Amino acid sequence: MSASFLQAASVDEALAALDAGARPIAGGTDLVVGARQGKAPLPAALVAIDRLDDELGSISDNPDGSLTIGSLVNHLRLMSEPLVVERATALADGAALIGSPATRNVGTIGGNVMNASPAMDTGAALAVLGATVHLRSASGPDRILELDELWTGPGTTTARPDELCVGLSLPARPPRSGSAYLRLEYRRAMEIAVVGAAASISLSADNLVETVSIALTAVAPTILAVEGTAALAGRAVDTNLLDQVAALASEQARPIADLRASERYRRHTVGVMARRALEAAAERAQGIKLGVPVNRNKGIGVSL
Amino acid sequence: MSLTDSTPAAAQRFVRADGPEKVTGSGRYAADLELPGMLHAAFRYADMAPARLAGIDTSKAAAMPGVLAVMTAADVPDLRYSPGIADRKLFATDMVRFEGEILAAVAATTPAIAAAAAAAIEVSYESLPAVTDIETALDPAAPLVHPEWADYQVDEGIVREGNLACFSSIERGDAEAAMHEAHTVVTSRYVADGCHAVPIEPRAVAAQWEGNKVTIWSSTQVPFDARAGVCETLQMPTNRVRIIVPHLGGGFGGKCGFHYEAHVAALARAARRPVKLVFSRAEEFLAPDRRREGMVFELTSALDADGRLQARTGTVLIDCGAYVADAAFFPQLAAMHAVGPYQVPNIKIDASLIYTNHQPSGSVRAPTAPQACWAVESHTDELAAAAGLDPVEFRRLNAVDSRTVGPTGQTYEEIGLQECIDAATNAVSYGDELAEDEAIGVAIGWWPTFVSPAGAFLKMDEDGSVQILTGAQECGTGAVMTLRQLAADELGIDPERIEMIYQDTAAAPFGPGATGSQTLVNNGRAVIAGAKQIADQLRELAADQLEAAADDIVLIDGIAHVAGSPTAAVAIDDLAATAAGGELLLGHGSDPFPEPPEAVGTTCVGDQGLTAWVGPQFSCHAVRIRLDRDTGVVRVLDVGAAHDSGTIINPAGALGQVHGAVMMGIGQALTEGTVYDEHGHQRNADLLEYKLQTIADVPHIHTSFIEPPTNNAGPRGAKGLAEAPNVATAAAISNGLAKLIGTPVRMLPMTAERVWDTIGSAHDQVAAATEGHGK
Ligand SMILES: Cc1cc2nc3c(=O)[nH]c(=O)nc-3n(C[C@H](O)[C@H](O)[C@H](O)COP(=O)(O)OP(=O)(O)OC[C@H]3O[C@@H](n4cnc5c(N)ncnc54)[C@H](O)[C@@H]3O)c2cc1C
Repeated sequence: MSASFLQAASVDEALAALDAGARPIAGGTDLVVGARQGKAPLPAALVAIDRLDDELGSISDNPDGSLTIGSLVNHLRLMSEPLVVERATALADGAALIGSPATRNVGTIGGNVMNASPAMDTGAALAVLGATVHLRSASGPDRILELDELWTGPGTTTARPDELCVGLSLPARPPRSGSAYLRLEYRRAMEIAVVGAAASISLSADNLVETVSIALTAVAPTILAVEGTAALAGRAVDTNLLDQVAALASEQARPIADLRASERYRRHTVGVMARRALEAAAERAQGIKLGVPVNRNKGIGVSL
Repeated sequence: MSLTDSTPAAAQRFVRADGPEKVTGSGRYAADLELPGMLHAAFRYADMAPARLAGIDTSKAAAMPGVLAVMTAADVPDLRYSPGIADRKLFATDMVRFEGEILAAVAATTPAIAAAAAAAIEVSYESLPAVTDIETALDPAAPLVHPEWADYQVDEGIVREGNLACFSSIERGDAEAAMHEAHTVVTSRYVADGCHAVPIEPRAVAAQWEGNKVTIWSSTQVPFDARAGVCETLQMPTNRVRIIVPHLGGGFGGKCGFHYEAHVAALARAARRPVKLVFSRAEEFLAPDRRREGMVFELTSALDADGRLQARTGTVLIDCGAYVADAAFFPQLAAMHAVGPYQVPNIKIDASLIYTNHQPSGSVRAPTAPQACWAVESHTDELAAAAGLDPVEFRRLNAVDSRTVGPTGQTYEEIGLQECIDAATNAVSYGDELAEDEAIGVAIGWWPTFVSPAGAFLKMDEDGSVQILTGAQECGTGAVMTLRQLAADELGIDPERIEMIYQDTAAAPFGPGATGSQTLVNNGRAVIAGAKQIADQLRELAADQLEAAADDIVLIDGIAHVAGSPTAAVAIDDLAATAAGGELLLGHGSDPFPEPPEAVGTTCVGDQGLTAWVGPQFSCHAVRIRLDRDTGVVRVLDVGAAHDSGTIINPAGALGQVHGAVMMGIGQALTEGTVYDEHGHQRNADLLEYKLQTIADVPHIHTSFIEPPTNNAGPRGAKGLAEAPNVATAAAISNGLAKLIGTPVRMLPMTAERVWDTIGSAHDQVAAATEGHGK
């Protein structure tokens, strides 16, 4: 049990508590469950931010076409909010896979991002969508970080203990673009990603690649952005290209072997996920509607 | 999921008496108990295993504030227990054989103090080499798990030697000769990992003494077995030990047997305060001597030119773990399943239960059967392929039917296996075209009906309402709830007028408990017998009042009337009021149970009475699956489950059993398996890494019950049902997969990675073969 617990009534109050050494708790689905599992004891001082919906709980559509997502937005909202489903579909795919209905109703995007697990299901999606993280503190100016500046390893970030994640920004996407996230799972709920991959793509009017971006889940100490995708510009999304992307993903993956999978199997399947994610993203870029989560359309855990 | 179309509407409406409490959360489980002055228990488990115990020092723990009792083997009678082979002690003395072995127990004022004190006990060990592989454990050079095995007390008929805990064989005809003459011979090897029952309620036990009597609340499936265990290990008479089971949060066999009741009772006596033990999820995985056994199968079968089975030989190895628990009958059961419900004239099967340093195996829902059915039915599809027959045709040709002779010489009366094959395959449109990467696998299975003594008391009080006092135990199946229905039918009253007193050894006569699908069969028989006595009394009373013969009185809808003249009637409630002023309405039942049928022409070494079965149950599962070839992930889409479990008395309850068992079977097929390290310690003893199926994974399940007239079984021809539907699902999934891959996945569970590996090696073989042709 934590020695002190403060239910913050405002972001400022939360920031003051952080400044005094408290840790934030949003949904508690990582923090509390982790403590019960013996990963890390609950921090001595906690500040609950879960009632700060007014300040941290909205999704806004900005005039420049970017989206701002408050850190308290939960996964249920992410998977069902039309703005997210249409413009950041990969994020909706990822959110829709998290835990169970109860987990999605309680777990927040801020918690998922700041918990910095390499198996997190929103991370690869946020990475391919070019998300940035907004950090605020009582003592200094706001900081806006790229994701690769934030995550440094399993459970570690460059955020200072006094910094609160207030939200994320997703930049505007070009017109013919789409995104998707898939994960390998052995059952259809309460699962943790064995591996996963997100893809985002934008296409020219004649369906050639303009930009493509791939990121991988659970194959490295952090979410891993696949390198070498710039060279794919100008190509058609055909079997060759998909094979090449699968190969890039498999080659760059640095998976471990554990109870869930061998190194070899992870390396192979992360390529499969990358290929399917790109295929789905390209279909979406062409206006084809694929339901969320796209896992159910692309082989894994098909619906009845 | 819905009830089958054939289910009558009246039967679908069956409200369980314990349902509302459980659904609304007002029901109380053992862990909810709070007794005045209650202490909390914690166990000290082995830190390393196997090891020789060099010393144990409890003084620091005992001196901790808040600790009221610390006990070790020195504080309880020094004796070994366990049904069949007495190889276990309450607390380890000289040796620890598996990681869940208990060295000491603590009672303290809070769970945290108890845990800290258990940790403060100082133990020194000398590490020993671990026996973890059942295929090498019988080598003369292998270390003995029980060096003193020869000194143990064992039941008559048990065949054993060293690490071979128990052996059984089936021998019929001349299998060797038949192999030589056969047209086709196929040999297969299959390996099944162990797995777990995983009841959602981790167990809890609380004990309280009053003078020299103890009351123990326990989440057990078998209160009378638990009582017998306490009486044996603490050397007490049965009438001073009372076991009460509050609501039980599932068991699946995992809570069968005698577990921690004696430890907690002994702690409570030493501390002079009530004590409660509540297991964590990890303890529930690691400590009980009840997990599903790992098995290895080598099977060879011979066919004639028409594809008829001529012979089967095989060896079956069963991982016993460190203690025998209740597994002494496993070898014979496994041997029966290694043949299966087929007509096979020549058989030689050897089945061995082998000690290792793993957690002990014990009865989990249909022990040995799902693994054995998986191996045998996968082998059967290999046989069908070798014979050039469709797998379903092969089974129609070779499976047993009414009035045929089974593999051990039992002649069947009316049985519904062939109808089960029709119903299950029709339910999933077997034979129709399928989408890409889909296939339907089919498997048949069987399972005995277990019979045992059971008793019941019944009383009808002055208002006409009834109490049944039964030794039955409700583990979630609803079977106990069905007992009301049986009594109500005998008495001609509404089942809602009947209450049950159950799960209390002091209140009711003996019952076998929720084990072996026995409740309806055995407790049902007792309740009917007891109810008949009251019904006879009611008929006498009515006959007096209506001036008719007692034999002519009909009891129905709360009325006793003269047969053929419904107006010559008296309310049963009025009869009850009359009786209350004179001879009370009391019934007690314990009818003899059916005799096992004859087995002709078969020799069984290590016979435990399972060569021929009372009321054999049959089943066929046909499963449509889809395979994701790039990842090996399998999704089960449709399950046709057809069962001959005799007469179905409570269709809603029966469907629940099939649905739950199918899900358990899917888990066992695809995701559930224990992973060990080299010391025999479990690596996935938690619900994140041990992957149960979830509600989101449930396929369409189409259930049919085939109900042939059944004589030699339970009430009205019921055979019991809780285990039978757990037998064939994994096997059917395996056969679907083999169709898609071209070869079976020879390891259980057939995890995605194992499936993917199998696809890979199948590819490699095809590639190598084509290459060879090219040269
Ligand atoms: C049953 C179950 C299933 C799960 N399944 C999945 C899954 O499939 N995929 C997946 O990715 N995750 C899964 N999770 C993990 C978890 O639910 C998610 O990571 C969730 O998004 C965490 O959010 P939270 O609000 O509950 O975080 P919390 O537990 O409240 O916090 C997590 C961490 O982030 C910090 N934190 C929280 N909010 C902020 C903030 N605004 N600023 C700075 N730091 C902050 C906390 O201090 C803590 O260190 C599962 C969890 C459970 C219990």
